[in-house]
Formats: sequence, structure tokens, C-alpha cells
Amino acid sequence: MSAAAVVRVEDVTKRYGSGAAAVEALRGVTFEAAPGELIALTGPSGSGKSTLLNLCGLIDAPDRGRRLVEGAPVNGCGEAELTRLRRERIGFVFQGFNLVPVMTARDNVEYPLLLLGVPQPERGRRVAEALARVGLEGFGERLPDALSGGQRQRVAIARALVKSPRLIIADEPTGNLDSATAAQIVDLLRDLTHEHGAAAVVATHDDRMTGHCDRVVRLVDGRLQ
Amino acid sequence: MKWLLYACKNLLRNRRRTLMALVITGVGSAAAVVGGGFALFTYQSLREVSARDTGHVVVAARGGFDGDEDVPMQHGLAGAPALAKELEALPGVRAVLPRIQFSGLISNGDKSAVFIGTGIEPEEDFRLRGVQLKFVDGEPFDAGRSVPEIAIGRELARTMKAKVGSGLTLLATTTEGNLNAVDVVVRGIVGTGVPDIDKRIVMADVGAVQKLLLTDKVSTLSVYLKDIDATGGAAAAVAAAHPALEVRTWLDLAVFYQSVKALYNRIFGMLGVIMLVIVLFAVSNTIGMAVAERTREIGTLRAIGALPGEIVRNFVLEGAAIGAGGALTGIAAAGAVTLALIFAGLQMPPPPGRSNGYPLLIVFSPGLCAATAAAVAAVSALAAWAASRRAARKPIPEALAHV
Repeated sequence: MSAAAVVRVEDVTKRYGSGAAAVEALRGVTFEAAPGELIALTGPSGSGKSTLLNLCGLIDAPDRGRRLVEGAPVNGCGEAELTRLRRERIGFVFQGFNLVPVMTARDNVEYPLLLLGVPQPERGRRVAEALARVGLEGFGERLPDALSGGQRQRVAIARALVKSPRLIIADEPTGNLDSATAAQIVDLLRDLTHEHGAAAVVATHDDRMTGHCDRVVRLVDGRLQ
Repeated sequence: MKWLLYACKNLLRNRRRTLMALVITGVGSAAAVVGGGFALFTYQSLREVSARDTGHVVVAARGGFDGDEDVPMQHGLAGAPALAKELEALPGVRAVLPRIQFSGLISNGDKSAVFIGTGIEPEEDFRLRGVQLKFVDGEPFDAGRSVPEIAIGRELARTMKAKVGSGLTLLATTTEGNLNAVDVVVRGIVGTGVPDIDKRIVMADVGAVQKLLLTDKVSTLSVYLKDIDATGGAAAAVAAAHPALEVRTWLDLAVFYQSVKALYNRIFGMLGVIMLVIVLFAVSNTIGMAVAERTREIGTLRAIGALPGEIVRNFVLEGAAIGAGGALTGIAAAGAVTLALIFAGLQMPPPPGRSNGYPLLIVFSPGLCAATAAAVAAVSALAAWAASRRAARKPIPEALAHV
């Protein structure tokens, strides 16, 4: 085990359903992500990519095995503690952007800082920096509906980065984007990961994405290959 | 403040649904304020009438209120003039008036009827009662006439075939147990608004009544205050200064007021509960639909670090905003109704057992408005809490996969 791993899962198993209808999404998977590492998680549909992302992102719990965040086991943590860890250390980017439609780009990016209780002057500065970093200066007052798909995904990335997370979880971040925009998003994620020293785990089917990652991990039938 | 702003923005996502919820909570709030305002108007009017009828504080000798009497004035109050002077010196006292309750027969020479009489100091008494006692014919009588003057109820006047200026005879049992009679002249015919009272009521000068009953006592002293709200303090002061006497307040003696208030409290209380239940369902439905539509968003916010309680708080704010908005709209509508009723001059029909109607007015009470707004906002928030708490605790992957 790497002592520096931002997140590590050890021998985790996850099963959905029960009895004859049970499906084993993950079967004894061990995986870790180091700081500054951009990892592509690939595999066919139903291979367990999203499940592994959920376990790494602390939004789901394994049936067996253990998880560690920066060396500390989190298996025994309650919901409040897991939420606190997500709030402080983990950023999420979703395939469908998942922006709040009634909030402007600035408000969407600000949301995690509100949850963290960051005071206003600093909040405004960090939001402006995050939007500038993803190339959306001057777009802060726009609602998501007034942005293109690529711009929305940039807002989502800014939302994930604004709190300077240790881990970024991205589920098919380029799935809804054209090639040129997808390349920009991939470059952005890679640059940000390397600059901030955060680990990023990206589930993707997209070969354009895997070529830019530091490491590619393939899952088939719930097992790492 | 930011969360409230987001709540308001979220409410604008589906304007028609929000508008419907606002209309329902508004109508409910308006109904509560109008209904409650009508009840308050009734209470205030009856309170005034009751206090004017008996006096704010009533003083009697021991047994003067509840004791059985073998002969008239057995529990009468002696030394009333001196005591009245003493009570008049108390702070906040407007007047102290003697009253004698008596009964007997009234006759026109051809026929007799039972009467229930009150001996009063006419000038002050009629002034303090104001419009409450309506003279349908004649005018208030004077004290100290050689042939005493009286006022009688309109129904009793009809029975006695009496008009203003008619001579009648009052017969009553004296304090010694004998019969005594006095000839009187009808100076006024009054309507109290209660036909049963109008059939029996006789009002005469207290001095004439004392001569009829052969006594120098009175039944009670009625203490009229400048401020009805000072009643409790004044009653306590009188009771402390005169422990040998019995002291009651107008409220103790206002049986009709208390009955009406108890009845209206139940009726309008039930109306309020029904309104709140309607608001509960309306807001619950609105927020429930919003929660269902925004399940994926809930999952997203939970993933980025919002606690279930913070998600619920956002929906509770939305519910409270609907409740507060609806309540303010309803209160404004109730204010408009209040003004309209003042100008419309509508009359309510006479209540059961009464012959006079009364104006249909409502009291626009800031306290009632605040209580209504608080209750509607709280119930709306409660409805939103109930509608959102389960969704906020849904497993995040499940919420994120919601279509």
C-alpha cells in the first residue's frame, strides 16, 4: 500500500439485490489513487466502473473490504463523517453536468464553499479564480441553460475544484461533449490534477480521454484486469 | 439569506404550481384573519356591553351575589354613599353607581304582571350605558320627582297598555316582609334587544325604590373605570381595602359574553384548524412534486457534501416562503375585506333570543395577523419537512440514477 494514496480500496466487494437476482458489481477489487495522478477507469457497461467510483467517492459502502482516505480507514464512519469528508476533500464531476438550473454559474461554483462555511470575501475570490481557471471569466452570471455543453462541464469542474479537493471523481465527464470540447475538458482535468496535486479517477468509455491519463485501469465483470 | 434566495428561485421553477399553492395558502390565511377578526369584533362589542351593563367592578355585601334572601335586601349593602365616595377616590375610577335589584308586580289598575326591576341613579347610569339601552319612546327619567318616574321594557309596556305619561303602580315586598306599593309615571320605554328581558324590565330611581322597599341599603355598587383593562387591578385593590365585602368583575358576571366566547372560540378554532390542514396538504403536494422532480439534484448536492438536514432545510425554506407569501397575500386580502365592510354597512341578523341585529364588522388585529402568518408559515414548513426528509436520506447513487 502506498502511504501517500489519496484514496485506497482493499479487496472490496459490492453486491446489488439478493438471492438468485443478486449481481456482484465488484469482486475483491483493490485500487488506489496517488496525489497528482489522473486515472482512467475503463471497461464495458456493467463492469463496475460507477460502483468503484461511488466507493472511492464515499457515496456508497462496500459489502466487504475496506476503504482508506489519505491513509485513514473510513469503514466505521457514520453518514455525517462521510459527508464531511466529501465536503472537504472530494470533488465530483458528472456526465450530465448536474448543475442546479436556478443558480448562476457563479452560484453553482460557490455552493461547496457555502457548505464549508467559507466567509464571503474569500468565497468570492475563490469562485472567481475557479471560473477563470476553467476559462469562464465573464460567464459567472449566466444560468446553466445559457451555456453550451462544454461550458457547463467547465462550470461543473470549477465547482469540483473550488474547494481544492484531494480527490476528483468524474463519471463520464466527456460523454455528452463533442470531440473538440472533450479534448479541452480532458486537458483541463489533467492540468488541474497535476497543478493541484489532487488525484482524479475518471470513469470513461472515451478513448480520447484515456490517451491523456497517467494510468488506465480496466474493469471487467467487477474485477481489475 | 442566500439559502432563502435559492429557495425563492427554486419556487419559480414551476410558477403555476407555486401560484396555486400561494392562492390556497392565501385564501386560507384570509379566511382565518376574517373569521378571527369577526370573532374579535364580537368579543370586543360584548365586552363593552357587559362592562357597561354591570360596571367594571361590582361590590356587594357578603352573600350579595349568591346568597338566598328570606326578605328583600337581606344581604344589602349598608352605608353605600360613604363607600361610594371612598371608591370614587381610587385611581382610574370614572364613577360609582348604586344599584338595587328588586321584583314585584306592576299594575295598570286592570291587570298586573311580574316585573324585574333595577333601582339606579338615572342621570349617570343612562349616560354610562350609552347606546346600549335604546329608548324606543320617551326619554330617560329624572330622580327626585314627587311621583316617581320609571322606564319599562317595550314588551311590558305593550302588556300594560302603557305609553309615555301613563300612570302605573309598583307592588313589592318590603325588607320587613310586608307588601308596599308606589304610584309611578312612565317616562321612557326601552328596548334591550332581548325580548324576554323587555317583557319584565323596570328601571326606577334608586331613592324611590328604597322608599318602596323601606330600606336605606343598596344591592351593589357598580364601579366604572376609565380603562376596562384596569379591571383586574381595581378589583384587587377594592377587595384588599374592603375584605368584608364581596367583589366581582364584569367578566365574572358576564355569563352571555363567556358563553359566546367559548362557542366562537370553538367554531373559529375549528375553522382555523381546517384551514391549516388545507394549507398542509397544498404545500405538501407542491413540495412533494418538487422533491420528486429534483431527486437527482438532491443526490448531486448530497455527493458534494450537503447533509440530509441541509437538503431538508432548503425545502423547508421553500415551504415557509410559500406559507409566508400566501399568508401576506391573505392578510392583505383580509385588510381589503375589513375596509369594504366598514363602507358597506352590512348588518348581521339578530342572534337567537335577541331582537336587534348588529353591524357586520371585523377587527383587523395585528396580533391575529402575526399569529396567522406564523401558523401558516410553520405548517407550510412542516409540510415541506415531511415531504422532503425521505428523499434527502435516499442513498446517493440511487438519487443520482433517478430519472
